[in-house]
Amino acid sequence: MSNATQSTVSQPNPGSALLGRLLSPGPHVTYIIFIIIIGFFVIFAPNFATWGTAGAVGRITAVVTIMAVGMTFVIVCGEIDLSVGSHVSFAAMVVAMLLYNDVPGWIASPLVLLLGAGVGAINGIIVTKLRIPSFLVTLGMLSVLRGLALSFTGSMPVPIVDREYVEVLAGGTMLGIPAPIWWTLVTVVAGFYLLHMTVFGKRALATGGNTIAARFSGINTDLIRIIAFALCGVTASMAGLVLSARSAAGNPILGQGLELDVIAAVIIGGTSLFGGRGFILGSVVGAIFIGILGFGLIVMGLSTSIQEVVKGLIIIGAVSVNRK
Amino acid sequence: MKAPGANAPHTGEEGNSPLLVMKGIHKSFGENEVLKDIDFDLRAGEVHALLGENGAGKSTLMKILVGVHRPDAGEVLVAGVDVTDQSVQSKLGRGIAMIFQELSLLPNLTVAENLLIGREPRRPGWRINVRELRRQSQELLDTYDFPIQAGARVETLGFAQRQMIEIVKALASGARILVMDEPTSSLTVREEDKLFSIIDTLKARGIGIIYISHRMSEIFKISDRISVIKDGQLLPTQQTGQTDTRQIAEMMSRGGKAIDWDPVAIPTIAPDGFPALRVAGLRTGRKLRTGVDLTIAKGEIVGLAGLVGSGRSTFAKALFGLLPDAVGTVEVDGRPVKPGSPARAIAAGIGFVPEDRRGEGLVVDHGLAINMALPTLKKLRVGNGRFPMVLPNSADSLFSYMRDQLKIVCRSGRQRASELSGGNQQKVVVAKWLATDAQLLILDEPTSGVDVNAKEEMRLIVREAASKGMGVLLIASEMEELSRVADRIITMVDGSLGRTLPGGASETELRAALQADIDAKRKEAA
Repeated sequence: MSNATQSTVSQPNPGSALLGRLLSPGPHVTYIIFIIIIGFFVIFAPNFATWGTAGAVGRITAVVTIMAVGMTFVIVCGEIDLSVGSHVSFAAMVVAMLLYNDVPGWIASPLVLLLGAGVGAINGIIVTKLRIPSFLVTLGMLSVLRGLALSFTGSMPVPIVDREYVEVLAGGTMLGIPAPIWWTLVTVVAGFYLLHMTVFGKRALATGGNTIAARFSGINTDLIRIIAFALCGVTASMAGLVLSARSAAGNPILGQGLELDVIAAVIIGGTSLFGGRGFILGSVVGAIFIGILGFGLIVMGLSTSIQEVVKGLIIIGAVSVNRK
Repeated sequence: MKAPGANAPHTGEEGNSPLLVMKGIHKSFGENEVLKDIDFDLRAGEVHALLGENGAGKSTLMKILVGVHRPDAGEVLVAGVDVTDQSVQSKLGRGIAMIFQELSLLPNLTVAENLLIGREPRRPGWRINVRELRRQSQELLDTYDFPIQAGARVETLGFAQRQMIEIVKALASGARILVMDEPTSSLTVREEDKLFSIIDTLKARGIGIIYISHRMSEIFKISDRISVIKDGQLLPTQQTGQTDTRQIAEMMSRGGKAIDWDPVAIPTIAPDGFPALRVAGLRTGRKLRTGVDLTIAKGEIVGLAGLVGSGRSTFAKALFGLLPDAVGTVEVDGRPVKPGSPARAIAAGIGFVPEDRRGEGLVVDHGLAINMALPTLKKLRVGNGRFPMVLPNSADSLFSYMRDQLKIVCRSGRQRASELSGGNQQKVVVAKWLATDAQLLILDEPTSGVDVNAKEEMRLIVREAASKGMGVLLIASEMEELSRVADRIITMVDGSLGRTLPGGASETELRAALQADIDAKRKEAA
């Protein structure tokens, strides 16, 4: 009787388990694709493997990474935020207008971040209290923010002349590392701490994993989701600040199309589009992946239009191995 | 080897010839041998009950029968014809049909449309002949004396009626072998009786039924023979009349010996000081209109008896703060709790084990430890909750403590909740609330879909927790469970409490009391 019991509990042998793990979809598949694509560029793109490349990729990636950190929280909760691209433009315009009106940078920047949190929270409140799917709400918000950004100046860019602001957010370096990379690091560390080490993070994961069970465990799932949207708003605004400083202007089309890169980065990084599973560091890898892809295609001399096609296809491919 | 009866589907003695024979069935998934040399048969006009713990191989065997899986060895004979390698479709044609636990009807269509889906009578131009469709389906329903209108929308019908439709659908396609998987799990007492009379009708018509259930009382009520699958092997089939619950439970349990089956002595705790729960005038908008008053002493287990939809679950949810429109007085251990927020309810010491374990109780894709820690996350922060940081190992240590306490069978705290058996999943949900030091534990159908021995274990766990001073509110549809577990049983009809019976009241007494309350309510309404 007892040996019958043992044989059913016997587990698949370790060899097949390892094989199964390698073949099962998950972030590690992305890492393999990631390495293959880097290898491809190293071989076929002229002068790809240089420090210059690393720096350039770092700078390109910074903005997407910052936004991906916030987006990870929203997606972990089982929601989506399509408004982040417009949000970047909006934040950049607001900060440029404030600086133009002689508000000091150290006041203007936190104000814009706060405004970002507010706009994100509005997204969250509409989604949770009116029970409208987030993709619809944020698609609407995409249009609202884009329209607002354009209407401030009749679609004209606003130059930023505050040198200190530009230095701190984009131009300067500390310990030889450019400012955008520092801000990215700060965001990633904060995001990692929040998602993986705090009660809020665990609750966000539970909310996305099974909203009802989370609610039945005493978690205020509406509040959790509103906070997640607010965090996403803050990171999008942060990205807007960095981008405006880099281009020394508030441009109402600055963030156009970034939502695709950001969402793709998060999903490629192993976060489940259905919620309940997410990794901040995965999102960072996903963002670097997108950055290298974009840069590599430029270096290979493909036209921008073809780049868009190739990038879109590779993102669909990478996301499809990582879905669920 | 060719089956001896392959060319002669009908042997001499009609009565004794088995309708279905499964011989020497083997099945492995990878390294894991799920079924070992199973011999199973079903005669025309009998109910053959199939029991086994979750994961013992019941569903694999049934999937082989209906053609979802193919056996590695062995054969399946229907009326003597070898159908082992046929697909699901052609097995349906052979008369094998399964009534699923989760019903597979389309709720937005009418009964007629559901019954004849894919075989609708046509008119020229591929148009559906609606009148003919309705006529044919009504004829089918009438043949089996099922009081259902063919034109009714399925979503307006109760579970029992939906089940009847499933059965008619199967019979209409020529089914002679029906597999019923936990058919009573969502039925009320009355509906159950209806189902049993339907089963009798089917038996009389010579249809063989394989009946999968965890509920001993109904198995002994309706089955002719009982088989137990254990660890992929079929234990010798028993005649229902010549065995009893205890013997079957012993056959099923893994260690070979059932947990002590005798009822434990109920500790009588004098209600000193404040009761665990005092509710006065708790009402919600729709279900609990009259307001509910109830007091549960510390260490007392109060059972709520009632039909599905009688307001028991609504009451539980209102207590736990899940219904925002609930008003009334709720006091836990003398401290008032304002209804309307689960967080407040938990802080006051209420725990809630919901009815739908997988949908409401667990995040099934997450690990066991984190599931268990969900309500207590704040306490698990570094430095006894002083620092805003949770480390994974704090959830793990909670888990390993509870794992020992409740004897949860699993690999580790990181294992996904979805991989556990029903009983072990339920233990995780209960542990969630034991970890919060709940003063009052609400259990809504805690043993649905849980095998006999796990039920016994659950009973002991609840009793143990109560003996430490916790009040328990138990909602169960199985009268047997109420009478075995509760110290006091109260009936509930249409959102108000009825009469009180002492613990240990027999199933018949409970049913009678409940029926009397229902009748009184009806008279009142009329």
